[in-house]
Amino acid sequence: MQTKSIARALNIEKEQSTKLHTALGRLLKRALFLDTQDPEILFNLFPANFHNNLKELLVKIILDNQSTWRKQAISNQVSMPRLVDFDWRVDLKAASGTISRLSVPTCLVQFKVQNIPKKVGVVPEEDLINMELSKETLDTMLNGLYKIQDQLSSIAKKE
Amino acid sequence: MSSSQFGSLREDVLVNLKNDMQTVEKFDSEQFNQLVQMIFSFLADPSKSSQLFNQLETFAEDNNVSLPGLKNVFKSLLTIPNNALKKGSTAATFHEELRSLGLSEEKADYFTEQWKKNMATLSSMALGQTLMVNRLVDVDWKFGVTLASSEITKVGNTFVQLKLVLSNGTGELKNSYMELSLQQFYSFLHEMERVKASLEILS
Repeated sequence: MQTKSIARALNIEKEQSTKLHTALGRLLKRALFLDTQDPEILFNLFPANFHNNLKELLVKIILDNQSTWRKQAISNQVSMPRLVDFDWRVDLKAASGTISRLSVPTCLVQFKVQNIPKKVGVVPEEDLINMELSKETLDTMLNGLYKIQDQLSSIAKKE
Repeated sequence: MSSSQFGSLREDVLVNLKNDMQTVEKFDSEQFNQLVQMIFSFLADPSKSSQLFNQLETFAEDNNVSLPGLKNVFKSLLTIPNNALKKGSTAATFHEELRSLGLSEEKADYFTEQWKKNMATLSSMALGQTLMVNRLVDVDWKFGVTLASSEITKVGNTFVQLKLVLSNGTGELKNSYMELSLQQFYSFLHEMERVKASLEILS
């Protein structure tokens, strides 16, 4: 689709437009991988006999868009299923099958997790994970989270 | 019996219970006290069932009663405090029920006394057993910094990975994995603190 519209816009053959598309894609990937603000390094990506003005234009476009592309690349890099969102609710249990009157607060947490993409071009489904925590479990979990927090801040200090 | 704690029991179960109580009546008070002790120690820690079987065996041998019969009677006796817990009976109604099942005043007194003594333990046990949906069993975590990837040479992105171990109620444990960005982690921590605050207001 893209190559077709490129071909129409530039008035070139479809085959040529495909070549152009892949070449530009490779160039941008390479530029993003180098992750540099230095135009000189980016100039080196081009062959020596490349049109000078076009080269400068492309480098300018790359530098302008780099931070957006970088952010996107990081959010799409290999990872475990990503947390998308979470919600919680606190309930008060009033009665149960084993005991007629009770008043026990409990916490329900639902995580929305994005699965790993398996097919190109298909947005993966989101998984819902529900869990229930008693007050004691929550305390234990919070202690764990505090531990992570401490470690994180100690690393931040070192940096 | 309609207003009693056993009102919800089927007629034949009730008759059975009454028959068993008649058998219990034949024990002398020392034997009965021993049985009641066994009941409450078992209810307080149901995982020690093998110990209970040993106790029952010894009891049967010592007192010259048949083991299968004793087991049935014991089962019936067990249902009494369990039912009382379900209904939230007071000590007075508990005593009344025992009398209506045909237990003597003396035995009912002892049983009620033990019931009062053990009620707190039994209630807290029952609380621990109340139904939970996907109970959280364990959390494992790790965090790290991505240094480079196939897309970018220098990344420097911090992530936190969580493994949640959930019990789905059938005895199976399920692992759920997820990755949080630093921002997500802090917001999760903050939200869980809010949960803790509201749990503390309620309890």
